[in-house]
Amino acid sequence: MNTPEYGFSLPKAAFHAKLHSRKKQPVEIAEPRVIEVTNIVKRYGKNSVLNRATFQIEDAQLTTILGPSGCGKSTMLRCLNRLERFDRGQLRIGDVEVVGTEEKALTAAQEKDLTARLRASVGIVFQNFNLFPHLTVLDNCARGPQIIKNQNRKAAEDLARRYLEKVGLGEKVDFYPAQLSGGQQQRVAIARALAMEPEIVLFDEPTSALDPQLIQGVAKMLRGLDDLGKTLVVVSHDMAFARRISDQVIYFEGGRAVEAGTVEEVFANPKMPETQAFMESFRDDPQN
Amino acid sequence: MIRKTKSVRIQRMKLLMSQRARQIASLLLLLLLFQSPVFAQSALERVRKSGELRIGTDATYPPLESAEGGKFSGFDIDVGNALARELGVRATFINSGFDGIFPALQNGSFDVVISSVTITPERSASMLFSDPYYASGQLIAIRKGTPGIAKPEDLPGKRVGVQISTTAQIDLEKRKNVTVAVYNTIDLALLDLKNGRIDAVVCDAPVLRYMIRQSFPDLSTVGARFTDEKFGIVIAQGNDDLRRALNSALWHITESGEYDRLNMKWFGEASERSADEAASQTKRKAFDVGIVRRTWSLFLTGVWLTARLALLSLALGLPIGLLFALARVQSSKTLAAPAALYVEVMRGTPLLVQILFIYFVLPLFGLNIPAFWSGVIALTLNSAAYISEIFRAGILSIEAGQMEAARALGMSYPQAMRHIILPQTFRRVVPPLTNEAIALLKDSSLVSIIGLTELARTGQELASRYAAPLTIWPVVAIFYLLLTFPLTRVAEYLERRWKPVTRA
Repeated sequence: MNTPEYGFSLPKAAFHAKLHSRKKQPVEIAEPRVIEVTNIVKRYGKNSVLNRATFQIEDAQLTTILGPSGCGKSTMLRCLNRLERFDRGQLRIGDVEVVGTEEKALTAAQEKDLTARLRASVGIVFQNFNLFPHLTVLDNCARGPQIIKNQNRKAAEDLARRYLEKVGLGEKVDFYPAQLSGGQQQRVAIARALAMEPEIVLFDEPTSALDPQLIQGVAKMLRGLDDLGKTLVVVSHDMAFARRISDQVIYFEGGRAVEAGTVEEVFANPKMPETQAFMESFRDDPQN
Repeated sequence: MIRKTKSVRIQRMKLLMSQRARQIASLLLLLLLFQSPVFAQSALERVRKSGELRIGTDATYPPLESAEGGKFSGFDIDVGNALARELGVRATFINSGFDGIFPALQNGSFDVVISSVTITPERSASMLFSDPYYASGQLIAIRKGTPGIAKPEDLPGKRVGVQISTTAQIDLEKRKNVTVAVYNTIDLALLDLKNGRIDAVVCDAPVLRYMIRQSFPDLSTVGARFTDEKFGIVIAQGNDDLRRALNSALWHITESGEYDRLNMKWFGEASERSADEAASQTKRKAFDVGIVRRTWSLFLTGVWLTARLALLSLALGLPIGLLFALARVQSSKTLAAPAALYVEVMRGTPLLVQILFIYFVLPLFGLNIPAFWSGVIALTLNSAAYISEIFRAGILSIEAGQMEAARALGMSYPQAMRHIILPQTFRRVVPPLTNEAIALLKDSSLVSIIGLTELARTGQELASRYAAPLTIWPVVAIFYLLLTFPLTRVAEYLERRWKPVTRA
């Protein structure tokens, strides 16, 4: 989708070069899979939250992990940038490999290094944004590059301003988060994640904290990021929203990916009985 | 809030606490006795060499000893000066609360104690006494016209006030059925008697007469001295040569007539007028502006000491408290457990005991810290425990999402703490920290036990010097208020400056 009101774009080829230049081994470029999740298991005590979850997410696409509440989709998302650790299975993001804690114990230094590398390429926009209330909108976005990437103040602020303009908040740089509406706060959170220039951005339930009339705006915003060439992963339980925004959909239930495919495949012709049942309830709901 | 209650409790329990402090002090004293002689050099040689005799005294006992802005006066003071002259040195007086005076003597803080100390077998067991230099005895004071109290045998069933650690207390506690109320200074006991909360006060005769004459016209003494007590100069164990020298000096001033002159000056006819006569003298108002006018400048040294104690302790306690809070909120047990233990111990033991420990016990391990720094260290370590809990509560009150968001951006834990969590924490903890700072300022009065004449102790001395507690204590309160006022202003300024932006 092309949205002319957003200023600049990063050519896909350049993005690929950036992503792959860090890889030690050449990988098949044919169908770049930026995220590979294999048999991930996570338990809280006896309760299994992720149950051999396996799926792939392709490069530079918008993938929605869709499923009923309590299906483990948010936990899955948080595993992708190591806000949560998992017990078994493997995760590969770009050239970073993560193995379940029960299978391979890491030293504190290894864990630190792994987490740093993972988070350098994976940003996240939280469900309730978690903006820093004591910093202005500009500082919310500039502090990250300043502190983590050692950019000087000017460079970091320029970067922040650029992304704030991209999300349409160029006028609000000197405001504090509490002075903004929910929708504006979400856009600051997006700009904050983008300012770190990750290859992948995760969105945890981007519609749940907003009024229904704002949902269309979020969808537009997300598609407006296409020209950045990022891989976007959205977790949502809102099927209408998922259908509208996604390139790919992963249907999640019982702590695993039940079915994956394009929007048409999963919504129009679901193969698995669980997905069919879920889509059924969707069609019965007069709200949709 | 918790702290406030505690502070109030401390203030209120100070009298009770001093009682316990006395037990602790005796314990400390015992500990000290097991030590080898403190001075390798003989005490007398050292006094001669340094050219000064350091005399400890609790200057709240006129006419024997009192102080006014660091200037000492009284019978004991004159005797001390005369004795020092005989030894060929000058006398330096060091003010100390009576409950801490003997440990301080053993500690080497001074050479002798001249402070109306009655020679008793108990005291003789652990310290040396000179020959007696003054004969005194306990006397009973009552509200004028109270029937039924004329002699000590009448005291059972009554509530009787005494000053802490005095022979009056020791005597009364031996009598059955006497309820003993213990006060830090004798003027407070007399005030309570005047107000009707207790039935009698027992005190050394000359002091009692002086106090009543000065400002308690509603009170009078009854009967005669019922004990026969001899005051002696106290010398630390092992300093027999100093004792011999002092005894010979006492003999000299008696021979020369100096002693009689001093005795007449302080206890002569004019001073020995009966309490009844004195009552007819000009009646003093409860709040005497004349005294305020005469004494206000004397408070300034006390104010300055209190301010230095509190500000230094606060300045040191804040960063230490923050470090302990950080140790406790992070995940490693190796740091968190000792920090928790520290808070538990410092918060669970009385500040008074901590002060005594640092000043009196650490020297046993070769750590001899001067009184001022002992006070600063005790106040710092104590307040750091409370401050750390304030910071910890503040840190824990920041939503978990803040740390997550910072970490998710790629910040390390220390970076997230420094740039995201702590700036938000500081804003939130300004009000409870202000509480703590003010509580600290007021708790600093407890260091008077190790001989620091801070604001409260200054008040104590002046109140007994002028026998005017109702005039002096309100002035003390106003000075404390003046000290807390700038603290509150600073807190207000910080709150305004760091005001969290909540709404447009």
